[in-house]
Amino acid sequence: MEYQIEREEKEVLGDFKPELIPDECGGGIDDYEEALHVLMKFVGSMSSALEQVSGRGANAIVYQAGKRMGHEAGKMVEKTDDLEKAMQELSEILGIEFFFDMWKPANQTGYTVENGNETVVKLIFRDCVVRQTLRRTGLPQKGPLCYLLYGEIVGAVEEVMGIKGKLDIDHVGPNACLKTLTIKWGGK
Amino acid sequence: MVKIEIDEDACVGCGSCVEDCPNDVYEMDEAKNKTKVVNEDDCMACLSCHEICPAEAMEHKNIHVAKRLYIDRRISGILKKII
Repeated sequence: MEYQIEREEKEVLGDFKPELIPDECGGGIDDYEEALHVLMKFVGSMSSALEQVSGRGANAIVYQAGKRMGHEAGKMVEKTDDLEKAMQELSEILGIEFFFDMWKPANQTGYTVENGNETVVKLIFRDCVVRQTLRRTGLPQKGPLCYLLYGEIVGAVEEVMGIKGKLDIDHVGPNACLKTLTIKWGGK
Repeated sequence: MVKIEIDEDACVGCGSCVEDCPNDVYEMDEAKNKTKVVNEDDCMACLSCHEICPAEAMEHKNIHVAKRLYIDRRISGILKKII
């Protein structure tokens, strides 16, 4: 007798023919949720395996991946020399997966601080897919996956402003993370 | 604006929130041996203090609550039935 896999869920049957622009992707919200969780677990285990195999090199690999994503995202934004404007525009592009704002202590007047040939701005990341993934998989924050965000912001800033930048993690929390973006004026 | 409330009855005075807060929002009230909020304006609602507090003695009001897409609703449902 031929063996057949049994499922609780009923298989959906329908007609299909190739189409240039599909009208719908199919599936309900539960399917999306399940797919998201599988992806989170997949990315989480990939990150810890990467760390196990490559050690500190994992951070550099993930950073490069993030930087590529950042350059791609930055292409959708108008080029500017104004850091605050760049942050505003990038928050609109990256805002769905990384909801961030500029942040300053209450006694500081402006968001940006000039420091010689550097400009520093503090960014607070409120919603972050990386944090979601880390919490889903039980991994600590500040690990290789956080370098994805580091790379993405640096890549995006480089693309929009045409200058070098770096992002330091000041503090990580379950609801928000504070980072310092430093951009260095004076060429790539 | 963020509003932080400390449940003084619950606070055990361990000072973990004072140590952990990056913006010095809390201070120890030495007389009462409880935490007190001294710099509410600088709170960025990271909620590290919630995570570290052993007594769940604080509440933040009027903050951006990050999406919690990581929660597995199926597992949470099972846990709710058990607990």
